[in-house]
Amino acid sequence: MDGFITALPTIFKAMTMGAVPILLAALGEVFSERAGLVNIGLEGIMAVGAFVGFAVAKMSGNIWLGVLVGMLAGVLVNMIYAFCTVTLCADQVVTGMAINVLAPAIALFGYNLFVGSNPANATGEQMASLAIPGLSQIPFLGDALFNQTLLAYLAFILVPVVRYFFHHFRVGLSFRSVGENPHAAETLGINVVRTKYVACIVCGALAAAGGAFLTLCYTPIYTDGIVMGRGFIALATVIFGRWTAVGVLAASLLFGFFDGLNVALQAQFQAAPVMFFKMIPYIFTIVALIFFGSKHAGPKANGQPYFREQR
Amino acid sequence: MAELLRMENISKCFGSFYANKDVTFDVREGEVHTLLGENGAGKSTLMNVLVGLYQPTEGKIFMHGREVQITSPGVAVENGIGMVHQHFMLIDAMTGLENIILGDKRHDTPLLREGDDRKTIEGLMDRYGLEIDLDEKVANMSIGMQQRVEIMKVLFRGAELLILDEPTAVLTDLEVEGLFEIMHSLTSEGKSIIFISHKMREVMRISDRVTVLRRGESIETVDVANVTEQELADLMIGQKFQESTYPKVEDAGEVAFELKGVSYRPEVKHGGLKDVSLAIHKGEILGVAGIDGNGQTPLAEVVTGLVKPESGEVYGPDGKEIALFSPRSFIKAGLGNIPEDRNKMGLVGDMTVAENLVLKQTTSDKFSAGHGKWLKMGEIHDYANKLREENDIRCTSVEQTARSLSGGNQQKVILARELEGEPKLLVAVYPTRGLDIGATEFIHNQIVAQRDAGCAVLLISADFDEVLKLSDRIVVLFEGQVMGTYPGANPPIKEISLAMAGK
Repeated sequence: MDGFITALPTIFKAMTMGAVPILLAALGEVFSERAGLVNIGLEGIMAVGAFVGFAVAKMSGNIWLGVLVGMLAGVLVNMIYAFCTVTLCADQVVTGMAINVLAPAIALFGYNLFVGSNPANATGEQMASLAIPGLSQIPFLGDALFNQTLLAYLAFILVPVVRYFFHHFRVGLSFRSVGENPHAAETLGINVVRTKYVACIVCGALAAAGGAFLTLCYTPIYTDGIVMGRGFIALATVIFGRWTAVGVLAASLLFGFFDGLNVALQAQFQAAPVMFFKMIPYIFTIVALIFFGSKHAGPKANGQPYFREQR
Repeated sequence: MAELLRMENISKCFGSFYANKDVTFDVREGEVHTLLGENGAGKSTLMNVLVGLYQPTEGKIFMHGREVQITSPGVAVENGIGMVHQHFMLIDAMTGLENIILGDKRHDTPLLREGDDRKTIEGLMDRYGLEIDLDEKVANMSIGMQQRVEIMKVLFRGAELLILDEPTAVLTDLEVEGLFEIMHSLTSEGKSIIFISHKMREVMRISDRVTVLRRGESIETVDVANVTEQELADLMIGQKFQESTYPKVEDAGEVAFELKGVSYRPEVKHGGLKDVSLAIHKGEILGVAGIDGNGQTPLAEVVTGLVKPESGEVYGPDGKEIALFSPRSFIKAGLGNIPEDRNKMGLVGDMTVAENLVLKQTTSDKFSAGHGKWLKMGEIHDYANKLREENDIRCTSVEQTARSLSGGNQQKVILARELEGEPKLLVAVYPTRGLDIGATEFIHNQIVAQRDAGCAVLLISADFDEVLKLSDRIVVLFEGQVMGTYPGANPPIKEISLAMAGK
């Protein structure tokens, strides 16, 4: 037990670090699903964001340029999804799966070109942490909450911003209506197709930013498959968080906590197989979905294609 | 009165099919102008053209004598045209207020100004007598209030011309009165209304002029003052139309089905049954009258075996008390069922007409080998074609999906399936809801023919005229209780309508 308490600051630190990439991707997915688009391609978009962010930052030496270009790449990849599902009315799950196959392959292709057989190339730039004086000295939580990279702070600030957007902005209200009842939205002069494209742009950018966080803040070493299912976890947190920004924050922190716990437990019980502890966050996700995964809670027209002149 | 809207030579094609062909009509300021026509006559298509949801293939639209191109719903709103759709265009998860201000562009601020808009809306509510709970979610509102939210949506956007697409189809009689009052206050303030309906009595009562549509074409525009109900019906059908009357049966046979003191969720006023006793005899139609939501649905569920009553006894056709409540055992005992919602409970929309027709007999030796393991598709196809001819089901092939049929033809498919095999008890719930005159007549004839063949019929309908027309005996349901039983021949209408109101 004493070991656990001394490990707490480390667990909390790992919690916030682990939560950020999931939070970013999940916020993107909230935009997407609020506009009626279930995008299971998050995993793929994150992979592209992670690689492009890493490569651009390393080549240019400018981390923020890496983040920005990574986000741009995520948007580009997600435009494939947008064109297929919105314009061609293709099945959203199948298209999202296609993105998940295509995008990591693009990342791997780039990795082979960029890193090749020279492992030194796989170590890249890292964003510096900004400790907030005073606050970061708080016991247990200070280091976890107030000694973060700027990108992480931005991710957390995004939560109230997104919440405010959906509830107090004219566009936010329109956005929600598109996911609930696009035909009604259309009769009120809301441009459904444009709203859905905007949602895809936001979703692509945020998910890719989540990916870039992994390579630019989380670990300096790029490995293939670095996203490790976080895109799917983000999907789960959207459901668990009831399609709201605050809910998603809570859900991703919870996931981050179990992720941190896994690291702490690994250190405690070194005899036990590592894989056993690595399962913990994923098992938690499944359990959470069993209890909170009701299909009826989300936006009503979520996942359905929208045809305009439908008789 | 000055002319507000004129639609000239409008045509709209879907592929090679003309939903509207060369339609011309106009609306004056402050009038109620009815578009009258059977299902599929092109009323809704024409209105979707007017509000910019469809683009006309040919034709021109004028507002205040000026030609306008209505390229999108937004443009229609700018021209002062607002539509209240038959299927409400509301967002259930949002409040009344949010639904009303959604997509409105009066403020150019990016932030919502709910306080200002609320004041504007409350002003309009007072002016036109529209009662709305602005903070309630639409999902929790009554149908009547949802409709008022729809009307407020178009008023809030400054509509001069309101299109009401079959607004009374979903309302109770009391709510219809309320709607008509609102319509009066709107027209007296100079607004114009296009009213779409095929209920003749309402049309006669509320309209100033009527334009009749038939098979996508405009037939004639008439002043209501100079025309009778019969003449309008003839125009709409395109041939002399004679509504039939049926002889009433007074000495019915023995009891075929009986409920004794049946209760089901009696604590629920508008969705339960409380101590209901009634008997349905062979060769009679027992009509259940009452305002929608007074126990009709649970009654239908009990007599079709979908739910088991919490207390009371139910006796089947053989006179024995029923212990097992399952649809299958009821069907085996000879139940035919025309359910309340033909799309949800009556048909599987994505399956073909032929498949829907044999749904109850898939395990019979006639249509399958090995007790349902292997379907005999040829037999099914021939059988479906036979029923199609007998029941005048209009479709291009029995292999098309049931969803693609019109409402009347869907109902004929259900009827054909349920009447095959001569049921001992037929339960018909809202059997003609939303159907046009021709299809309604066909369904009524079939139901009466079953009665004459000795079948016991339970007819549940919110359409009081239908109950009066068909029933040999009438019971009235109010808040889940039987208020009384009345003869079908020379029924005491006043007494019955008082009973329907719970008095």
